[in-house]
Amino acid sequence: MKWAYALNQWNFRMDVFVRHEDHARAFKTIAACGFDHVELAAGTGRWDNLGRPEQIALNYGDDFRPMLNRCGIRGVSSFFWDPGQFAEEEGWAFRSTRNPADHDAIVESARPFVDFLAAVGGSQLVARPVGPAWMGPPVSADDLKVIGEVWNRVGEVAAASGVGVSLHYDCLGAVHSRAELEGLLAATDVGLALDTAELTVGGIDPVDFYRSHAGRVTHVQLKDTRFADAGEEYRMPGAESTMLKGGAGRRIERWFYELGTEGGLVDVKAFVGALRDHGYDGWVVVESDQGGNPAELVMLNRWYLNHELRGLL
Amino acid sequence: MKWSYMDHWVTETPQGPQPPSFNRAHMDRYVKQLSALGFTGFDTFFFSLPMYAGMYGSLPGFERFLQDNGFEKITGIFSAYPSATKFQAPHVRETHDRIVADCEYTLRACEGLTGVENFIVMPSSTYFQVEPVTDDKIKVMADLWNRVGQLTLAHGQKTTCHFEFWGAIRTRAQLDLFFEYTDPRYVYFFCDTAQHTIAGVDPVRMFRDYADRCTGFHFKDTHDVDTEGAYRTPPDPELMAPTVSRWFYEMGTEGGLVDFPALMREIVASGYDGWLTVEHDKAELGGGSYAEATCVAKWYIDHVLAEVAR
Repeated sequence: MKWAYALNQWNFRMDVFVRHEDHARAFKTIAACGFDHVELAAGTGRWDNLGRPEQIALNYGDDFRPMLNRCGIRGVSSFFWDPGQFAEEEGWAFRSTRNPADHDAIVESARPFVDFLAAVGGSQLVARPVGPAWMGPPVSADDLKVIGEVWNRVGEVAAASGVGVSLHYDCLGAVHSRAELEGLLAATDVGLALDTAELTVGGIDPVDFYRSHAGRVTHVQLKDTRFADAGEEYRMPGAESTMLKGGAGRRIERWFYELGTEGGLVDVKAFVGALRDHGYDGWVVVESDQGGNPAELVMLNRWYLNHELRGLL
Repeated sequence: MKWSYMDHWVTETPQGPQPPSFNRAHMDRYVKQLSALGFTGFDTFFFSLPMYAGMYGSLPGFERFLQDNGFEKITGIFSAYPSATKFQAPHVRETHDRIVADCEYTLRACEGLTGVENFIVMPSSTYFQVEPVTDDKIKVMADLWNRVGQLTLAHGQKTTCHFEFWGAIRTRAQLDLFFEYTDPRYVYFFCDTAQHTIAGVDPVRMFRDYADRCTGFHFKDTHDVDTEGAYRTPPDPELMAPTVSRWFYEMGTEGGLVDFPALMREIVASGYDGWLTVEHDKAELGGGSYAEATCVAKWYIDHVLAEVAR
């Protein structure tokens, strides 16, 4: 397995993580903690200037990879992208993979990310397969078929450039239950990005799921959580805030934590052991988004890898 | 004088420093802090409207919460296209229908409110995306805001133009030409004291010359005039300028360049009776705090500007 670190935690607010020195300090922090590849996350606009290939080009020109190298980062492992995320570069279009009429536009909107990954040697487009559950009715078998079709098309585009597509399960997504996730996998040929904390919050045991579907897992995001959805919290209107920012319900303002956190629900050792047992050779991206201080968390995650997973790596 | 607050804020959360729209509890605390300082108007961004409607049941519901805390109303809505895209670019006429439609959507979102007065717009996108800035391009932008101005008036709001130091309309000559091309019945002037100062334009003189079209202010300060062409920095001069990491400061800091007492004298002399808005943009840079910056600015209002206005 290959290890990388997700950059998303540094970009925790619209107007932060904009200046070159901020980027350099983050990359140096990640490098100092022993990671030499990073996962980027899609965004929009002038302040999300590592969030889209065109912004990166405006920002760094041809110096992006050299800049990474100067900071001790050898490359980009992957790019997280949600086709339903509003982006000014896409005219703030509201698109859903559940809507066949949006499919052509979704496939086209994937191309810049695929091209970028191919150019920088990244291997995985990590994609949100479907929008949040609270914004629509439960997914049906027909929905899963429609969703699978568009990802197969994106997968073909990406494969032509030597890039893989990995669908990322998240705890708010309309594909929520284990049966729904298995239905999605059955409806598409592309891989799965298994996020240990997101699955746990969603009520799916990541270790058991991985052992059952190891052949489909093409990407891993490793993080912990102290909480699981109590039932239907993910269906609360505005669950991005009402659930994951504690705006309603149990008022939990932080769900995701570093590896080894007290009270963590993810059996990280068992999960990494399962990866080893199945000979997983893809990226394992350690992630600490929606947490606290980014540098503190990457250091704690490195400590955990060094001290708690040493025998497994 | 009526003081309003422009909706920039950062609050500490378990997910790090976030805007108070993080959740309803943080939003309530933010409004209470502004209330404690006596602000009675609230200006916000078009993109915040759905969030506030969601938290308080509706946008009028949010305004009622403001009113329960001593505010009179939501006074202004800020709408902007800082980055030009193929879909929305004020200097590209082919995108105007889309921009007008966007504006109409925002205006409809404001229905049921007590009475928003200002529809505040950035008349242009970033300078580097528009250059070369020609008279023709300024005319195209003026034509757009003339259209929008007629639309917003029909909804009871005045289209008022807020110029950025990094925008395509930034010099005094460009500003004058823009106002020459726009219809004074439909397009008004919003005076951001720091932005003009950074661009090398005297905001006091600007207000004096356009007082009859001025419908609002952002009272904020700066320590730097852009003398090195930072306004052309791609993709964003506001946060990425090579030599200046923080452009904006609250009133009353050492090194501030805006002559607020002189501006206040001009305002009083003009008979202006609209809202005066305090804005703190990026106040946290360098370890600052929005709460403390707002207190310091209010102290300056009460102890310096009030004396001038008396």
